Amino acid sequence: MTSNYAIKAAELGVRYDLRFNRKTTVRTSVANFVLRRPPPRFWALRNVTFELTHGESLAVIGPNGAGKSTLLQVLAGIMRPSEGTVDVRGNVSGLLGLGVGFDNDLSGIENILLGGAFLGLEDATVQELLPSIIAFADLGEFIDAPLKTYSQGMRARLGFAIATAVDPDILLLDEVLATGDANFRAKSKARVIELVTAAKGVVLVTHDMEWVTEYCNRAMLLEKGRVILEGAPADVVKLHLERQAEAAAARNAEALAKGIDPAVLAGPRGGGDGRRRR
Amino acid sequence: MLPFRAMSSGDAAVTIRQTPGSPSPLTLLRQGVTDILSRRRLIRYLVQADMKKRGTDTVLGNLWWILDPLLQLIVYVVFITIIARRPAPDYPLFIFAAIVPWKWFSAVITDATTSVVGAERLIRQIAFPKLVLPVSVTTAGVVGFLWGLIPLAGLMLLHFDRISPMLVWFPVIAVVQFAFTLAMAILISAANVFFRDLGNALGHVLRLWWFLSPGLYSLDNLRNVPYVQNHPIVADLFGINPFAILFEAYRAVIYGVPDGPQPSAHPPDLYALGALLLASVLLLGVCITFFKRVEPEFAKVL
Repeated sequence: MTSNYAIKAAELGVRYDLRFNRKTTVRTSVANFVLRRPPPRFWALRNVTFELTHGESLAVIGPNGAGKSTLLQVLAGIMRPSEGTVDVRGNVSGLLGLGVGFDNDLSGIENILLGGAFLGLEDATVQELLPSIIAFADLGEFIDAPLKTYSQGMRARLGFAIATAVDPDILLLDEVLATGDANFRAKSKARVIELVTAAKGVVLVTHDMEWVTEYCNRAMLLEKGRVILEGAPADVVKLHLERQAEAAAARNAEALAKGIDPAVLAGPRGGGDGRRRR
Repeated sequence: MLPFRAMSSGDAAVTIRQTPGSPSPLTLLRQGVTDILSRRRLIRYLVQADMKKRGTDTVLGNLWWILDPLLQLIVYVVFITIIARRPAPDYPLFIFAAIVPWKWFSAVITDATTSVVGAERLIRQIAFPKLVLPVSVTTAGVVGFLWGLIPLAGLMLLHFDRISPMLVWFPVIAVVQFAFTLAMAILISAANVFFRDLGNALGHVLRLWWFLSPGLYSLDNLRNVPYVQNHPIVADLFGINPFAILFEAYRAVIYGVPDGPQPSAHPPDLYALGALLLASVLLLGVCITFFKRVEPEFAKVL
C-alpha cells in the first residue's frame, strides 16, 4: 500500500539553531562570533518515520516539549525539516491554534475575507463559504464589529469557523477541542468529528486520551523529539500514562529527597508548548 | 445541524514535498515572484487593513503624511537660512522636492522592519508566502506618498513660475524609487527576524543617510565646497548614493535650477536613473532570493 499514502515521513528531523532566537541582536551575535561561542543547537524532532494511509487518523501524544507541535508545523508546510523528507499528498488544512485573529481593527466579515486570502482560498470560494462561516461562528451583530471588541471565546469561535470552513484532504489539529463555552465546544467537536470522518487523513495532537482511543486508529508517542512507540491507540496511551506516572514518581522522589512537599510540584499543568515562549 | 456543505477543495492532489536544504537561487527567485503575483488579493487586503488601521482612508488620518514633511520643512528652512545665510532661491521648494520622497522611503523602511516579526502568530500557524508582508507595507507606503504630494502640490502653486511640463517625469522617478524601496523593505523585514535590534540601528542609519544625500543641498552646492573642489572624488562618492540620483532627479523636474529664467525644470539624468533602475531590479532579485532562502527559518526563530 506504499503508493496510497497521504503522508509519508522518512527520518524526519527538525533542528533549532538557538543562535538565532527572538532575542538575538546584532550586538550579541558579534559578541558570540568574537568569543567563538559554538552555536547552541537543539533537535526538536529526530528520526521520525511514519506513513499515514488514506482514511487513517493518527494521534500524536507526549509530554510538553516533545515536538508534537513542531511535527504538525512541518506537515503543514510551515517549517522545513533539517533532515529527512516528508511528502504530504492533498490539500492540507491545519488548526494549529485558534487564536488566529487576523487583524484586530477589521470586522469579523473582513477577517473572514483576510483569513481566506491567508489560507490561499480563491475569492469565489470565500464568497461562497461566507454565509456558512458567519452562521457557524454565530456572533450575531458582532460580525460587523472590529475584532478588538471580541471576547476570547468569540475570537475562538470565529477562528474555528474560518479554519474549518474548507473540507481538507488532510487535517491537522493541535489541541483545538478545549476552547469556547460548553455549547460551542459541543458544536466544534461535532464539526471536527465530521471533518475527521470526511478527511482522507488526520493527524492530531491532544492531551485528551479519551479522544485518542475513541476517534483515532493509530497513535504515536513522542518524547524529547523521538518516537517512543507507534501503534494501536490503546497500547500507546497505556505506555504514555505509565511513563507519565513514572516521571511524576521520579519527580516526587527527588523532591522528597530535597525535602520539598511534592504537592507543591503538582501545580496546575500549563497547556500548550511553553518552550519557545520563554 | 451543521451549516457546512461538503466542499471539494480543489480536485488535483497537491503534494507538499518538504526536503532539507535550499533550492537553487534561481528557483527561489522564481518562487518568490510567484508568491507575490499569486497573492495579489491578500496583498490588497493587507494594504486596506493597514489603511484602515492608520485611518489613512480619511484626511485626518493622513494629517501626519501632510504635516510631518511641512514641519520638517520649517525646521530646515529656518536653520539653513540662518546658517548658510544665502540658500538657493525658492529654498522651501528646493528641499521639499527631497523631503517628501524621503518621508516615503523612511516610513516604508520603518514599517517593513516589523512587518514579518509582527505577524509571528500567523507565521507559526499558517503556511503562507511571507513575502506578502513587506510587499504590502511597501504598497501601503505608496498611498501615504500620494497624500504627501498634497503639500508638495501646494508649495508648487506658491512657486508656480517653476511649474513645467517636465513633471511628466515625476512618476518615472517614483517608479525607480519604488523598486529600490521594495528591495530594501524585503531585505530589512527578513533581517529583523534574526537581529531584533536592527530597528534601533536603522533609525540612526536613516538619519545619517538623509544628511549624506543631497536633499538640503544639491550636488552642485557640494562641488563648490573648497575641500570637494580639491578632492572631486568626494562628490563622485556622494553621487553613487541612490538617493543622490533620486533627489537630483526629483529636483530637476520639480524645481529646475536655482537661477536663470523660470521655469528651468529639465529632464532628469536618464543614464543615472536607468542605471539605478537596473541596479534596483537586480537588488530586488537578490533580496527576494535572500528572503526565500531564510523564509523557512522564520517559524523556528519567531
